[in-house]
Amino acid sequence: MISLKNINKYYKQGEQEVHILHDITLDIQQGEFVGIMGQSGSGKSTLINIIGFLDREYKGDYVFKEDNIVHYTNKKFTYLRNKNVGFVFQNFKLINNLSVAENVALPLMYAGVKKKEVTQRVSEVLEKVGLGGYEKSIPSQLSGGQQQRVSIARAIVGNPTFLIADEPTGALDSQTSAEIMALFKQLNTLNHTTIIIVTHDPNVGKQMDRLLTILDGRLISDTEGE
Amino acid sequence: MNYSDLFKVAFKSLLANKRRSLLTMIGIVIGIASVITIIALGNGVKQKMISEFKTSNSGEQTTQITFSGKEDSTQGFTTSDIAKIKQQFSKQLTQVKFKKDSSDISVSDVSVGNATLSGTVTLLKKPMPNSKLKYGHNLTQSDLDLNQKVILLSSDYAKKIYKYSQNAIGTAVIINGISYKVKGIYKSESYTKYSANFLVSKKTYYAGKKMDQSNTLKLTVAKGNGASSVTKKVVKYLKKHGENRHLGSYSYFDEGAILKSISTIMDVLTYFISAIAGISLFIAGIGVMNMMYISVSERTQEIGIRLAVGATQKNILWQFLLEAVMLTVSGGITGFLIGWGISSVISLAIPYHIHAVVTFSNFLLAFGVSSAVGIIFGILPATQASKRNLIDILR
Ligand SMILES: Nc1ncnc2c1ncn2[C@@H]1O[C@H](COP(=O)(O)OP(=O)(O)O)[C@@H](O)[C@H]1O
Ligand SMILES: [Mg+2]
Repeated sequence: MISLKNINKYYKQGEQEVHILHDITLDIQQGEFVGIMGQSGSGKSTLINIIGFLDREYKGDYVFKEDNIVHYTNKKFTYLRNKNVGFVFQNFKLINNLSVAENVALPLMYAGVKKKEVTQRVSEVLEKVGLGGYEKSIPSQLSGGQQQRVSIARAIVGNPTFLIADEPTGALDSQTSAEIMALFKQLNTLNHTTIIIVTHDPNVGKQMDRLLTILDGRLISDTEGE
Repeated sequence: MNYSDLFKVAFKSLLANKRRSLLTMIGIVIGIASVITIIALGNGVKQKMISEFKTSNSGEQTTQITFSGKEDSTQGFTTSDIAKIKQQFSKQLTQVKFKKDSSDISVSDVSVGNATLSGTVTLLKKPMPNSKLKYGHNLTQSDLDLNQKVILLSSDYAKKIYKYSQNAIGTAVIINGISYKVKGIYKSESYTKYSANFLVSKKTYYAGKKMDQSNTLKLTVAKGNGASSVTKKVVKYLKKHGENRHLGSYSYFDEGAILKSISTIMDVLTYFISAIAGISLFIAGIGVMNMMYISVSERTQEIGIRLAVGATQKNILWQFLLEAVMLTVSGGITGFLIGWGISSVISLAIPYHIHAVVTFSNFLLAFGVSSAVGIIFGILPATQASKRNLIDILR
């Protein structure tokens, strides 16, 4: 489904160009549960921003569902992102003056889904992530684990083709981390959602079906999990 | 995202920062309120001019000349004056008539009780409001219509003759040889219709009285003649040939000219205040722009989140632009209402019964100008918000 060929990424840092990603070639199939590991600053976030259609300034080819997206217009590109990807971030990124339900509803609102359907769908996904009945709460009243569940609910509410999570457990204690990972696992096995998780926690990495390791912008290993 | 959602989001963001939103609105409110105030008063002056100087369908206009005698009881205009004016100005005037005075008519040789005094009479076609009555009974409409010889006495006047004003009730008052029965006592108030010493039915007062003298002359000026210039000529003529010219003076109170000059002053004032309001709105607009820039930079995270979950650049642009416009439009509407209020209060304090008049197009003006300010000064911050680089925000 996702196919990267010789991806190179450069960042301008002051006057000079820094080479961040070196010749990344990689295929991910529908339904896979993939982990990306590596030291801080190795380029993990840079890579998943490219995979998640957030960043299109790179060299190389990206073929998504048999279509080379490098030549897409900006509009088509944004549409691609909105239809196919759900994001989960390390620091949850919830809007604090909106209720839990309003936060989760955002992707559907921007997709133009009808009010009635939105309310129903939001309750469904909140139930799924274990937060049934929290619709009216304000994010800041919730614990970190609960907030991350809200952001997962938001990521899956629009039924995306794949989920991208950038260090989703980075700000949580080990107990809560385990719960969140179990939730991801459940989404993958029950709903067959493709999930790509960035982590630098080896304990988290171990639970993946497939683990990619990045060092200084190079893909150094691609192994099956145990 | 549909429009009602966009409105809700913008409204919520403005509420989240109530104090800042209100302070930013003040400039708009002041600007719009001052423009609406002056426009409403200007409208009032124009409306007054139109109603006051309505020319009849045939193009005729009426004017009045008054005579002020050196002695109170002198009646200035006579039938021979009318005949002379008609002859002299036959082309310019279609009608010359005595005007039946109806308020504060001076009368002498009035007998009240045992005394003979002079006083003032106001004539009524409609009964006095009951609230002004102090003792006795008010005059009814049928008293006025059926030539009943009844009269109301002002309490101050009654006190001069009878120690207690209520003692006057039932006694007779003789004016111009006609005897009236006192039916009630009222409280006279200066500067109102009820400031005279006596109130009598107009019909009764003029019944059987042939008008051969008056203090006011009513002229009807023929079509195509300047009403005020003709009237001035008549006044000049009367000063030379009027029968009672040695007993008093003739005057023409040119209300038209006065209202015209007020109207000119209003026009100048309108331009002046609009210019000041324009500056105020410009400064307020810059305040809006400043506030929106601050808001955009404070809400970078929100913008990033919205973009990441599916908002387009256009959605973000609209959200911030709508916020700016909602802010300025609420300021504009508030200013409109305040301006309306202020102009109504001012109109109570100025002479000639000028009412503040606010029209729907004035509302549209306030609405239009305030939304324009919102759009003009909101577009740059909103564009900046929508152009934020998602990757930089989410890092
Ligand atoms: N927007 C950017 N501009 C310049 N340099 C960047 C930018 N984003 C990331 N980098 C650099 O790219 C490298 C990889 O960053 P990142 O992908 O965030 O690493 P990771 O997520 O593995 O910690 C880092 O050295 C970082 O400083
Ligand atoms: Mg990172």
